[in-house]
Amino acid sequence: MPEPVIALHAVKKNYQDVPILDIPHLELPAGIYWLQGENGAGKTTCMKVMAGLIPFKGEIRLRGEVSSKDHPVAFRRLINYAEAEPFYPAFLTGRDLLELYLGTKGGDRQLIGEIAERMGVHIFVNNPVSTYSSGMLKKLSLLLAFTGNPAVILLDEPLITIDTRTLAIMYDLVRTRHANGVTFLITSHQPLDPEEVTITGTLRIADKNITLN
Amino acid sequence: MRSVTAILQKIFTTQFYIQNTGFFLVLFYFLFGVVDSGSLISYHKGLMMGFLEGPSFLLIVLALWALYCLKCVGFVMKVLQSQGYEFLYPAMGSMDKNRRLREWLLIHNAIYLPVWIYAGVAMMVGIRYHYYGSSIIILVFNVAMALWPLALYDRKLFQPDIFFFTGYLQRWINRRFTKPPVLYFLYELFTQFPRRILTAKLVSALMLWLTFFLMQQGDYFDLRGLQLGVMLSVLLHLQLLTHHRAFDDTWLNFMENLPISTFRHYTRMAAVYLIMWIPEMVMITVNAYTKTSVLSLLMVFCLALSLLMFFRALLYFPKMNNELHVRYVLLTCFVVLFMVLGHYEWLAILLLQVLSAIVFFSKYRRYEPYIES
Repeated sequence: MPEPVIALHAVKKNYQDVPILDIPHLELPAGIYWLQGENGAGKTTCMKVMAGLIPFKGEIRLRGEVSSKDHPVAFRRLINYAEAEPFYPAFLTGRDLLELYLGTKGGDRQLIGEIAERMGVHIFVNNPVSTYSSGMLKKLSLLLAFTGNPAVILLDEPLITIDTRTLAIMYDLVRTRHANGVTFLITSHQPLDPEEVTITGTLRIADKNITLN
Repeated sequence: MRSVTAILQKIFTTQFYIQNTGFFLVLFYFLFGVVDSGSLISYHKGLMMGFLEGPSFLLIVLALWALYCLKCVGFVMKVLQSQGYEFLYPAMGSMDKNRRLREWLLIHNAIYLPVWIYAGVAMMVGIRYHYYGSSIIILVFNVAMALWPLALYDRKLFQPDIFFFTGYLQRWINRRFTKPPVLYFLYELFTQFPRRILTAKLVSALMLWLTFFLMQQGDYFDLRGLQLGVMLSVLLHLQLLTHHRAFDDTWLNFMENLPISTFRHYTRMAAVYLIMWIPEMVMITVNAYTKTSVLSLLMVFCLALSLLMFFRALLYFPKMNNELHVRYVLLTCFVVLFMVLGHYEWLAILLLQVLSAIVFFSKYRRYEPYIES
C-alpha cells in the first residue's frame, strides 16, 4: 500500500456525553475521496476534526510525520477546509479574509488572484461579507481552501449553492491540484460528476466509524 | 386596513418610545420632577431665557439636541440592520422618492418630537421677549436636525452594507486597509454593539474620574487608591470579556484551521485588551503623570492588563458560565486588593501573568464551547 497522506489513530469525538466519532484506525493514500453518510452521521464533525477546528481524542498524522498533537501549526499548514455553510464576521471583507489566509497559509498570491478572477470573486472582494449571498460566500470559502500549499483539502458539500460556471472551475481546480499531489476529501449528497473527476475511493461514515470501500 | 404610514410609525416610532421608556422617565424627572409644581413654569421660563440670552448656554443646548438627534438616527439605522426587518428594503425601496422621503420625514420627526415641542415653546418665548436672533438659530438648527437624517436613511435603503455614516469612506478603507485579527473584536463592538462598548468606556472613565476627584478632595495622591479605581474599572469590562468569548465561539472558529501558533493567539489576546484599555491609560497618564513616577504608572497599567488577561483566560474553562466567572473574578480581586495594599503589586502582576499563560496554553487548543443542557 502506498504511503498514507492522512492517517487517523484512535480518533474519538464526543459532544458533551454523546459520542459522535470513534475511528480506531484509518489510513488514506493520495487520491480523491467521496465521504458519504446520512444526515447527522458525523461527516461535518469528521471534517472539522481533521481540519483542527474542534478538539478530539486521538491523533491524526499527515504525510506520516506531521502530528495534530505535536505539530499543531505545521498540521494546519497542510490541511485546508471549506465549510458547507461558511460564515464570517459581518464587517470583514473578502479581501481581509484572503490576506489573512495568504498571510498565514502562504501560497502563490498571483495564482489565487487568477482563481478569484475566474470565479468572479474579485468583483465583490472589497465588500463586507454581510452583503454576500450564500453563493458568494461559498465561492469565497472555496477560494480560501485553495490558498497555501496543502497536502489535503476538505470540501464540505461544495456542490451546493454555487453556479454551474463556478462548479466547472471547482472541478478543474480539484483535477489540477490532485495532479500536483493534493488529496481531496469531499462530502456531497449529490454524486460527483464522473466525467469531471475520478474518485479514488468512497468513504462511508456510519456507526461513528469510517470505512473505505 | 391600516395605512402604510401607520404601519411604519408602529415599526419605528412606537418601538422607539417603548424601548426608551426608562430614558424618558429619567428625562421627565429632571425636567419636571425636581421642581415643585407651583414654580414649574417660572423654572422652565428661566431656563429658556438662560439659553436665549447666553450664546454659550445656547451652544450647550444645541449640542444636547444634536445628541438626541444622533440617538434617533442610531435607532432607525439599528432597526434597518436588525434581523427580521429586511422586508423594509423592498417595501420602502419600491415607493416613489417623494413618498419615501415623506415617510422618513414623518418617522424621524415623530421620534424627534420631544425636542420640537421644547424648542417650539422656547422660540415662542424668544419672540415674546424679542430674542429674534436666538429664535432663528433654534429654528434653523432644528430644521437641519429634522432633515439631514432623511438623506442617510434613504441612502441606507439602497446601500444596506453601510454600517456607519459614509459608505464611500467605508469602501475606501476596505480597499486600502486590511483588518488585522487583533482588531476583529473591536470592529465587532463598534459596528454591531456600539452602545455596549461606549457605555462600558464611559462608566469606566467615570470611575477613574471619581477616583481622582476623591483623592483631590482629600488633597493627597495614593497609588493604592488609584489601583483600587483601576480594579473597579477593569470589573466594569466583565461584560465585554464574556462578549469576547461569545464572539470567538460564534465567528472566529474558522481561524482554528489557520497555522497560527498558540503563542501568537496569546499575544493577540493580550493586544486586544491593551488596545481596549488605551483610553483609560491616557486618562490616568494625564491626571497622574505629575504626581507619580513613570515606573509606577507602568505598574498600574500592567496590573490592569494582567487582570483583564487573567479574567479572559478563565473563560477558556468551557463550563465557566457568567455566575462562576463573577465568583472567580471577585475572589481574584479580593486577593489582588490585599497584595496591592501590602505593596506587592509586581508580585500580583507576575502571578496573574503566569496563571493566565498556564490557563491559556493548557486550554486553548482543547477549548470547545459548552452547551448547558
